[in-house]
Amino acid sequence: MLEINIKKQLDELSVDLSNVGNLNDMSLIWRKYFGAKGLIKLSLKEIQGLSPEEKIKKAPIIQNIYQEALSLFKEKEDFFNEEKLINELKSQSEGLDFNLLKIGHLHPISKTIKEMNGHFTNMGFSIMDGPELETDEFCFQRLNVPLDHPARDMQDTLYVKEPNFLLRTQTSSIEARVLASYQPPFKVVSPGRVYRNEAVNKSNHFIFHHYQGLVVLNKVNLQDLFGTLNYLFKMMYGDDVVMRFRSKYYPEVEPGIGADMLCFKCLGEGCAVCKGVGWIEMGGAGIIHPNVMQEAGLDKNKWMGFAFGLGLDRWVMAKYKISDIRTLLGGNLGYKYYQNESII
Amino acid sequence: MKVLFSQIKELVPELKADPKEIAEVLTYIGFMRDSISEVNYKGAKDHLISLEIRQNRPDCLAVIGIAREIAAYYKLKTIIPDLNKINYTERKINVDIEAKNEVRRVLAVEIINIKNQESPAWLKEFLSFYEINQVNLLVDLSNYVMILTGYPSHLLDGDLITGKIIWSINSQYNKISTLLGTEIELNQEGELLIQDESNVLALAGIVGAKKAEISRKTKNIFLELAVYDRAVVRRNSRSLNIVTDASNYLEKDLDPQGVDYAMSLLINLILEYCGGNINSSLFDFYLNKKILKPISMRLEAPSIFTGIEIPSNEVRDILKNLNFQVEEKNKEMILVTPPSYRTDISVEEDLVEEVARIYDYRKIPTNILPKLEVVANITPKNIILADELREFTTSLSFDEVLSLPLTGINKNKNAKYLDWNIVSTQNSVNENFPELRISMSIGLFSQYKEYIKKNLSLIEIFEIGKIFGEKEGKYVEQEMIGLLYSSLEDKINIFKARIEKILRYSGFNQIEFIKSDKAPRDANPNSCWWIHANGHNLGILYKYRPQEEKINVYFSEFNITQMTLLLPEIENNPVVEINNKLVSLDRNIELKKEDSIHDYLRVIKDKIKSEYTWSVNVIDVYEMVDIIRYTIRVVYMNLSDQEAKKIHSIVFDA
Repeated sequence: MLEINIKKQLDELSVDLSNVGNLNDMSLIWRKYFGAKGLIKLSLKEIQGLSPEEKIKKAPIIQNIYQEALSLFKEKEDFFNEEKLINELKSQSEGLDFNLLKIGHLHPISKTIKEMNGHFTNMGFSIMDGPELETDEFCFQRLNVPLDHPARDMQDTLYVKEPNFLLRTQTSSIEARVLASYQPPFKVVSPGRVYRNEAVNKSNHFIFHHYQGLVVLNKVNLQDLFGTLNYLFKMMYGDDVVMRFRSKYYPEVEPGIGADMLCFKCLGEGCAVCKGVGWIEMGGAGIIHPNVMQEAGLDKNKWMGFAFGLGLDRWVMAKYKISDIRTLLGGNLGYKYYQNESII
Repeated sequence: MKVLFSQIKELVPELKADPKEIAEVLTYIGFMRDSISEVNYKGAKDHLISLEIRQNRPDCLAVIGIAREIAAYYKLKTIIPDLNKINYTERKINVDIEAKNEVRRVLAVEIINIKNQESPAWLKEFLSFYEINQVNLLVDLSNYVMILTGYPSHLLDGDLITGKIIWSINSQYNKISTLLGTEIELNQEGELLIQDESNVLALAGIVGAKKAEISRKTKNIFLELAVYDRAVVRRNSRSLNIVTDASNYLEKDLDPQGVDYAMSLLINLILEYCGGNINSSLFDFYLNKKILKPISMRLEAPSIFTGIEIPSNEVRDILKNLNFQVEEKNKEMILVTPPSYRTDISVEEDLVEEVARIYDYRKIPTNILPKLEVVANITPKNIILADELREFTTSLSFDEVLSLPLTGINKNKNAKYLDWNIVSTQNSVNENFPELRISMSIGLFSQYKEYIKKNLSLIEIFEIGKIFGEKEGKYVEQEMIGLLYSSLEDKINIFKARIEKILRYSGFNQIEFIKSDKAPRDANPNSCWWIHANGHNLGILYKYRPQEEKINVYFSEFNITQMTLLLPEIENNPVVEINNKLVSLDRNIELKKEDSIHDYLRVIKDKIKSEYTWSVNVIDVYEMVDIIRYTIRVVYMNLSDQEAKKIHSIVFDA
């Protein structure tokens, strides 16, 4: 009789569980079947009233039915717990912002300077700087360009207080300062801003940038100079770059050299970029003039040096394929972060 | 300078090279080809080569000069045409040179009974290549000789001259009416004039006066060829703002001896094409005759300078082909005397260049990486700090811009907060840029305005550059970093935190923002603070006055030059040649906010032997509530990867 009752209760439990809708109602079911006065709990207690023979025979059967009832309950309860957890996770979840993160960029000129400085520091060069508001002495006279020298016409000077104070027209002024202040041997490069009284257009500006190099050792020669510049060109523009070195006049060097790169656009045929010449002038160089060494108090029999000056803006424009120099100073490079990543 | 190929061929008859090759050779030896074009001259096909002439080679502003260069390169002879002997008369010409210091040489002569007329077709055609207007036969012949020889000449109508012709320094004339149809005010400050007893006849070396202009009616002429002190010509040309073909030639270091040939050629051509008779002796003023001095040269010098072996015989031959006289001094030395027209040659290095360029720079290898000796690194601290700041600021999402250090008067006035006077340029590029900036704010704010046009609301930009001023009678130039931040919301504290981060990264651990007693006009005076670091005022932070766009815009700048002086910890990286391997290893560490990162770095540096350390840097900073997490990068040198890792572990884990 007891077995039949408890099986019946199991069936009832099964029906009740199938009708339960949430975790709160489960506690009612627990109380109805498994609480102190629960139907199944009371049936279990009835085992105590059976004779010893019946106990041995029926107790295991009743225990099994009880365990089955517990499992049914537990299964349903787990189901509701799982559902609760899922809801909780949903309510606490956070989404990712998939907008592109803004990152800062160096200006193309700084980026190029950084790259060039890297190549030169790898060759053991130091980096130097000097005043932009210069004196005539360091911008011209110490560089073998006395007053009224026609070479001054190559650079239209902006004066702060004529004739002595001016805005440097070339980073060779840093060369003059290094020669005056440091005892050789040294190897230095000096990127910097220069000023000239020129009209502004697509390829000229009154403010632009030079990259100066100066080496003073016991012994240097043109082959060292060509090798150094060739290394730089190849590192900056790749192994396919074609260079030429030709004789050119600069008052601060003797012999003087012009360094050109085969036009990247027309490969020597002549086009608008190279103004029909086929080559792009990238800078000037040479062995330091004995007058410059003498001005610095250096014995030309003991020390020899080479110097070079590169038009940095041209290097940047060639590297980043920028066709208007005005873009480089105060232009609209920055807002093109994502559209034109290669520019920055 | 332009030169016709046929003229080079005429002067160097044995020349075999074609025009293209000639243009290339000229480029390598110092006269870069600008262009080469096919033309017709005297009814035949010809080539016009346009060249860039070196500033120190006035002898090559002449067809003859270019021909001499070509002949030297190809080891050929230049044949300068012989001229008819000129029969001068005994009659003395009435000339006086008062300005003896300014005039180096004058040749003058009178020719009478000339028939001036229109130039022949070939001469008109020739001058058109040089974009010189055809005037009349006499003037055109004068221009022709200038192009051939490099010497401008001056012809005056003899019937329009009153009395004596004098070269003098101006003390009486206020203006001159020129041949160009212009009137020039004279300032009587050292102008060199040619005048007669009543009128000014020319601004010597620059332009002739209308007074004695050559016309088609001219019958009798006074012809002069002169060389002046080039500085006088240049100064007068610049101060009176008049540049002519003549001044372009005569402000260079022309050889006074070269006028002889130019004078003979011009007289020969005038007599041939215009007829007439010589009516005077040749007036020749040449007070300080040029003495040609030999220069000692080591035969090995060209090899030492170029780095390649140039045989001694080759050295001698090249110099001789350039018309230099070469004498043997001893086994190692020669004495070299340049021709008088080579006014650019004065020292051994000049001779070396002559040998090297004609020997050909193309023979010097370019693909050998030089083995220059290792020297000390002398990079100043401000450069290292500026580079680090540039990198770190971009990592904080700021974009770098570069703006113009020249600016307008009002912009400077509104950005000024320093007690410096503003510096102006005397010859400003234009009315928009007369002054040097006194704050980085000006360029950054202009850039902000550019970006706003592109509808950007969040703008984070910075610039590292110089500001300028004058203090206590001295010019001041300081390197600054300026930052500009804009936002639709009020975010001054986010901006302030970035500034603080940058200063902490640089090595300052006591940073204060103190309400400013002096704000620039651009700033909101209620939102303006001085930035103090380790007890020193380094710069400023402020909010701009309200903007039309209703966007909050903030600016800060601080002084890198001053920071450098306050941060002795910045050290130069030692020199490492490219064959040295570098190993970079990072490590995160956490310090309390009040702890100094530099003290920590010093301990780290002390633990690693200096011969293994290339650099120790903080590459990232992350602030939490009470602590700051730093990422430190150590770059090791002279170690293998394994050795570096081992040391890295010992140093940081100990």
